[in-house]
Amino acid sequence: MILHYNLPKKIIDTIPLSENERIYYAVPFDIDGEGQWTEGSYLIVTTGKIHIYENEKITETIEIKNCTKAKAEAKVGGGILTVTIGDEPRVLVHYSAKHLSRYAYIARGINILISGRFEEVESNEYEKMCPKCGRAIPGTKNCPHCSKEGGFLKNFLRMAKPYKKGFFGVFVLMVLAAVTTLLNPEIQKHLINDVLRGGGGMKQALVYLAIMFSLSVGIVIVNILKSNASTRLGARISEDLRMALFQKYQELPLSFINDRRPGELLNRITQDTTFIREFMEDVFCNLFAVFFIFIWDVLFMMILNIKLALLTFVTVPIVVVMVLAFRKSVHRIFHLQYKKNDDVSSDLQDVISGMRVVKTYGREEAEANRFKALSTEFSNTQRRNETFWAIFNPIISFLMGMGAIVVVYFGGWDVFNEKMDAGELYQFMTYTVLLFQYINWMSWLPRTLTQLTSSLERINDILSQDVKKLDDAELAEVDIKGEITFDHATFGYKSYQPVLEDINAVIKPGEMIGIVGASGTGKSTLINLLMGLYEIDDGHLLIDGTDIRDIKRKSYHSQIGVVLQETFLFSGTIIDNIRFSKPDATYDEIIRAAKMANAHDFISRTPDGYNTYVGEKGYSLSGGERQRIAIARAILTNPRLLILDEATASLDTESEFMIQKALERLTDGKTTFAIAHRLSTLKKADRIMVIDGHRIAEIGTHEELLNSRGIYYKLHMAQIG
Amino acid sequence: MKEREEMADNNALDIYEKEAEEMTAMHKITDKDRFERTGGGFVNLFFKGNLYERVKVVRLFPFTDADKYISIRENDEKAKEIGIIEDLNDLSEETKEMLKEQLRLNYFTPVIQKIYSIKDEYGYAYFHVLTNKGECKFAINMASNAVTKLSDSRLIIMDLDENRFEIRDVNALTQKERRKLDLFL
Repeated sequence: MILHYNLPKKIIDTIPLSENERIYYAVPFDIDGEGQWTEGSYLIVTTGKIHIYENEKITETIEIKNCTKAKAEAKVGGGILTVTIGDEPRVLVHYSAKHLSRYAYIARGINILISGRFEEVESNEYEKMCPKCGRAIPGTKNCPHCSKEGGFLKNFLRMAKPYKKGFFGVFVLMVLAAVTTLLNPEIQKHLINDVLRGGGGMKQALVYLAIMFSLSVGIVIVNILKSNASTRLGARISEDLRMALFQKYQELPLSFINDRRPGELLNRITQDTTFIREFMEDVFCNLFAVFFIFIWDVLFMMILNIKLALLTFVTVPIVVVMVLAFRKSVHRIFHLQYKKNDDVSSDLQDVISGMRVVKTYGREEAEANRFKALSTEFSNTQRRNETFWAIFNPIISFLMGMGAIVVVYFGGWDVFNEKMDAGELYQFMTYTVLLFQYINWMSWLPRTLTQLTSSLERINDILSQDVKKLDDAELAEVDIKGEITFDHATFGYKSYQPVLEDINAVIKPGEMIGIVGASGTGKSTLINLLMGLYEIDDGHLLIDGTDIRDIKRKSYHSQIGVVLQETFLFSGTIIDNIRFSKPDATYDEIIRAAKMANAHDFISRTPDGYNTYVGEKGYSLSGGERQRIAIARAILTNPRLLILDEATASLDTESEFMIQKALERLTDGKTTFAIAHRLSTLKKADRIMVIDGHRIAEIGTHEELLNSRGIYYKLHMAQIG
Repeated sequence: MKEREEMADNNALDIYEKEAEEMTAMHKITDKDRFERTGGGFVNLFFKGNLYERVKVVRLFPFTDADKYISIRENDEKAKEIGIIEDLNDLSEETKEMLKEQLRLNYFTPVIQKIYSIKDEYGYAYFHVLTNKGECKFAINMASNAVTKLSDSRLIIMDLDENRFEIRDVNALTQKERRKLDLFL
């Protein structure tokens, strides 16, 4: 995301810069004081000042040293940037949603300058619209339209490179297919001229028929081989791409995944690779054959009868324009129908899933009427479309055949005048039909190629991501003792919404910390940071005095144990699931861990014991049982650092007791972070951390917090009352 | 000692109950209560003897009745409601203008008045329109649910940047403009 736009020289000249001062950030704002769209207005941040440039001049200048805080506030459909001068917050600029995240970075940048540091904030987010051509960018870094490193051909060649052999095979088959297709009309001409009209004998006729037959068989065989080869090639390419993408996803930091919509990344693996496969199967395998045939087709037509050929070519543009226009309206009306269909089904789904409410309030009739209206509208659209289709489809076929009619009419004259013989006319007509077939086929190409470019661009976007090599030699192997230090840690999933701000705490080895606070305050986020799933934006998280960024991930993760509110079990057996944390664990270790977790007994009661298949389609375990498997999984690695996120929240009292016992065994002597809503589950905690307003509001022992009569005290009272 | 603790506990519970009870109360803000501009472009409110600084001005019915039922809220995380203004037009011109200014800062939903062109290109539609906030261009993703129907004739269009554009009445557009929009209705 651009935080320093290239300003026109005219604007730069108006900015007064003292010595040692430079422009840090320059971003546009698009709403003026009257709430109207505006263009050419900028907020410019230099080392010491904030300038607002509007109506071709600087309208306001603020000294950064007078400010105490800058804040980008998100509003409905836009946002405002405020700075606090003295005690008074003050609106600087108003901008639309387009610049929401941009200004979040700017606010962060200004705050850094306010604190007397001079680092420059950078943004890894992508622009959504290409600043050059104004087109939407399909979730990639570069605009597929403008990027130089992209470009369809280059991308395609890069993708194709490892499969040279396969491509060559398909290419050879394509040439063969073209030759056989073009040869057939030539033979037919001889059959007509030499045999049927020239009075050749039966023997000669049979020879030609035999040649024609073998040519037809040849075409079929070549086409089968060609389709086979290109399908195989397409499947292999898309398989390799899928695998490469999957590997990349696992290497990429979670923040990259979070920046994108969940479905989008899935689509890149499933849809984009499928599109490439389909392209290989349906389009590529014919691509060169079609061009090859097309060119020869045109040449043969001109050789046979130049006048007739030119006449046919004249009809081509007319037909193409008409076909394209027709296709556009077809697309339009059927898209409409699809939308209406969507409306009907989503309404239906709404009513059916809300049936209980509809019935209890006696709204059946009203709902039925509403549905009827939608349904009628849909069926009307459908009827209109079918009529349209019924009328226009034959017209299009007629148009496509128009070339042939022209050929028959004028060619017929030539045959009567003996300027051309019948066999040649027949041959010519076959070529004309081929010509229009291929023109029809080629008219789809631009669309398909653009889709392919987007798919390739999206795939390359992931594959070309630089992943910070985490397990470098510089990173340390650690033996965690369990001292955790948060040092001015600040973090947010979205740049404009910090979830945790300025967290400071030191946790001693073996201490158990209870984390409480209302939902959405950042408890789970804190734990995500501890698990090393995200990197802190500002500040540090130290494990035994070493920054978590300098620790080998693998070494760190092998020493932490996690039990979450909802335990996810992979499809597989119980033993697979317990072993997940330590694949080489022996039976002995596994049973010991299961016993510690109070899981051994219920596992023994299942028909297949530890080999019981669980997961989506398998034996269904209760919430408490899942939880105990998760605890066994955590015990197995004997972790030094334990993380419990509402581990007992969704359980009944009895299983909660069992799990509480299991957890006590697990947490004994280990640094533990436990999130809980029910404070009674935190009795054993050495200290309680209360998170409120994105910060640590209170921290201390149960007694200390009760005595201080703060948030924890209120929570405690509300729960025991 | 124990008794004192219990009493304190009861107090805490009382505070909670009182808070919950307070939330159900409906306070009306009228012309008798005074708003004042701050130097930084926000407003303060004097209400029932208290000064509330930099209050939040929130529409309760932003689409159906933008100037009625305006909720005035405290400026902190909890944003407790101070009171409701039933109708902005009942207030003095000066106050009304002050609050409208705040609403302008808090809400930006341009209303489309004229459609110059809609071009669809490979999954995205590019709009060029005239809004009540001036002329503008924006793009939407055709695969996502960018267009929400508020009623049969009223639309909200969400562009790629998550800006929201409103079309108050589709039927008020010209035939030509409606045909351009057809794909999204």
